[in-house]
Amino acid sequence: MQRRLMSGRTPRLLAAFCTLLCLSNAEASEPLEQLAHDPVWLNLGHYRPDLLGGYTSQADDDAFFLSPEGKDSPLAELKATLTAIQAPGSGDDHARCRFPARDQWLRTRLDMPAPPADCPAYETWRDELNTKTVTLVFAASYLNSPSSMFGHTFLRLDPADTRDRDADLLLASTVSYAADASAHDSEIMFAYRGIFGGYPGITSVKPYYEKIKLYSDIENRDLWEYRLNLTPEETDRLLAHAWEIRDKNFDYYFFDENCAYRLLALIDVARPGTQLLDEVNTHAIPSDTVRWVVDHDLVASVNYRPSSATVVAHYLEQLSPEQRDLAADLTEGSRTVDSPEIQALPDEDRAHVLDATYDYVRYEAHEEEWPRDRAAPLSYDLLKARSQIDDAEPLKQPPEPAVRDDQGHDTFRASVAGGRQGGRNFVQLTLRPAYHDVLDPPEGYRQGAQLQFLRLDTRYYTDKDELQLEKLIGVEIRSLSVRDRFFTPLSWQVGFGARRTDIESGNRVLTPYLDGGAGFGWATSDQSQIYAMGTGDLEIDDDLDKGYDLAPGADLGWLYQGHRVSVTGGVKSKAWLIGDGDREDIAYASLGWHLERNIGLSAGWERKHHFERYDTTWQIGINAYF
Amino acid sequence: MKKLIAGAMLLGASSLAFAQPGCGVGAMIWKGQSGIAPHVLAATTNGTLGNQTFGMTTGTLGCNTNESIQSMAMYMDSNVDKVARDMSRGEGENLDTLAVLLNIDKADRPEFRKLMQDNFATIFPSSDTTSDQAVSAIVALMESHEGLSKYVA
Repeated sequence: MQRRLMSGRTPRLLAAFCTLLCLSNAEASEPLEQLAHDPVWLNLGHYRPDLLGGYTSQADDDAFFLSPEGKDSPLAELKATLTAIQAPGSGDDHARCRFPARDQWLRTRLDMPAPPADCPAYETWRDELNTKTVTLVFAASYLNSPSSMFGHTFLRLDPADTRDRDADLLLASTVSYAADASAHDSEIMFAYRGIFGGYPGITSVKPYYEKIKLYSDIENRDLWEYRLNLTPEETDRLLAHAWEIRDKNFDYYFFDENCAYRLLALIDVARPGTQLLDEVNTHAIPSDTVRWVVDHDLVASVNYRPSSATVVAHYLEQLSPEQRDLAADLTEGSRTVDSPEIQALPDEDRAHVLDATYDYVRYEAHEEEWPRDRAAPLSYDLLKARSQIDDAEPLKQPPEPAVRDDQGHDTFRASVAGGRQGGRNFVQLTLRPAYHDVLDPPEGYRQGAQLQFLRLDTRYYTDKDELQLEKLIGVEIRSLSVRDRFFTPLSWQVGFGARRTDIESGNRVLTPYLDGGAGFGWATSDQSQIYAMGTGDLEIDDDLDKGYDLAPGADLGWLYQGHRVSVTGGVKSKAWLIGDGDREDIAYASLGWHLERNIGLSAGWERKHHFERYDTTWQIGINAYF
Repeated sequence: MKKLIAGAMLLGASSLAFAQPGCGVGAMIWKGQSGIAPHVLAATTNGTLGNQTFGMTTGTLGCNTNESIQSMAMYMDSNVDKVARDMSRGEGENLDTLAVLLNIDKADRPEFRKLMQDNFATIFPSSDTTSDQAVSAIVALMESHEGLSKYVA
């Protein structure tokens, strides 16, 4: 801040000359150069340092630049902008109207007169958006949707006059940045182009109620609303810059230049000196970006908006067992709203049963893709019966979770462990860039969900001074969810990478693998479940008999995820088919002891029977999260 | 009209869609855009209630209908099953949003909510009621209501 004020003085003095001497004057170029590398200007142009020591803009759109060299030259773009905003004329196509944030900043910094610009389109747009405060909305992950696990963020522009806060906010506009995958690409193409580039990224504005429909009703994701503490001036600047980038293309990349990234850039422009983008190194996980926003003291208040699924589950919980039976009967059609058992309920209880049932039917109809001729008449009967009950106290809304998603453990984990395998002692170092496993501290994450990316386990065996790659996980996803009468999700898992596998000689060879599984889970308490999965493993390696091997198998276990400690244990069996048809049986137990939010201890034990021999591995270690 | 809102537009498109001569859509400024959005919206029309085919509202109500009713109609079209749910309960944020769009004063809201709940079966005579039929019924109910008629004049 200090530095910026100092450097601000020089150009301001020279600005007096500038206006007199005109911009092409060579004398002006030196201080302009300084101005062109001011963080504010770099933010406005989305310039980031490039490998050659210069700057390149992340905008991939000629219309975003006034100079032909603008993409790679902040200075050329600054000069072109200065010329353009001082050019005679007015109207929507004038540079002052196209780039109001640049115009405003340059005029302030260079002490140039700032007569009001005549920009009808921009002004109408701003009037319609009618923004007083800005809220960062975070769509939390949803257990059964791996692509949602990193979360999603967008901005909501909250109106000035809140006659009715909830209603006005439903109608508020939102700004989001997303890949425009309009082409009918397959899932694989979508992933490929998302990672390596190729999708244009588009900033779009939609009403909040459409976002709620998408995230809350369709994808069943809870929303967290972080109201930012931007001043009116900062809010103005954010809008002015949103206008500048609104229809400009910025290529979209899943991992770094994603939805969250572009919003950080907007906030950086709104509040100079924030530099949220400096926090981004290799990837910008939306939940991490929310942490940065919180850590930079940008948040005034936080509001929780549970998803439809969360609400339905909470409604059903509030019913008595008998009422739940009635709700299930109504849903299945074995009773109707006119059944004597329903009619006999006191008004308020009947209202509760009807409300919970309607919301459940709505949820099921969507999840299970009920045909309309089943869903619509039933929904209608429920609503009509409900409308005849006046003044019933509504069912309670779900409480806000004690720990928000941004308050969970950090997502980069480093672990050091010591252990013993097959009579050899080892020290193991594990690095996991993202994101969460079921034995990490559970708060702020979905129960039973696990997503690991690029996890690397290396071991140093002390007996022979040997360093070995133990395991490299490319991606591993587990979704262990519990079933009950109303909700019947499938548990599943999938992963690939390379791991050590036993061969008959007794060696452990590094083998590429692909595995997966599907099954069921049932709650044994609020925090624990048993699960039963059918699994499949594929390994490919020269050292295997036929170069590859396949194993159907089963995994039966128990998982507890608590505030202080998380535990899992069970038995696995795999029947390797291709080799000599041997079977591999494993008993396992592991524990995570959560000392603090970002530090914990771990312990693991495994006993395996394979190739007619037993092998035991154990290890204890420490986890730190960054 | 349906296309206007369901197509959900990119804010930067050169024309601003709210300036629809004669059939202004009030505060609705969200315009169409290709991409993921239409797929998602297509999925939402698989609603549990109300046939969400819009487009007739302007026909039913005429282009001279006041702007607040048109805004309300657009909101109904997009959220008919949630509005119906709130109406059956006589409360909820979607019902309140209708009241806001109709510029109903806070003092008159309880009366509005009660009118909607008590006449649920009039507004939605069947499970096939379209959102524009529901809008027409709401307007008719309000017109014949002493305290609320001023909001639909």
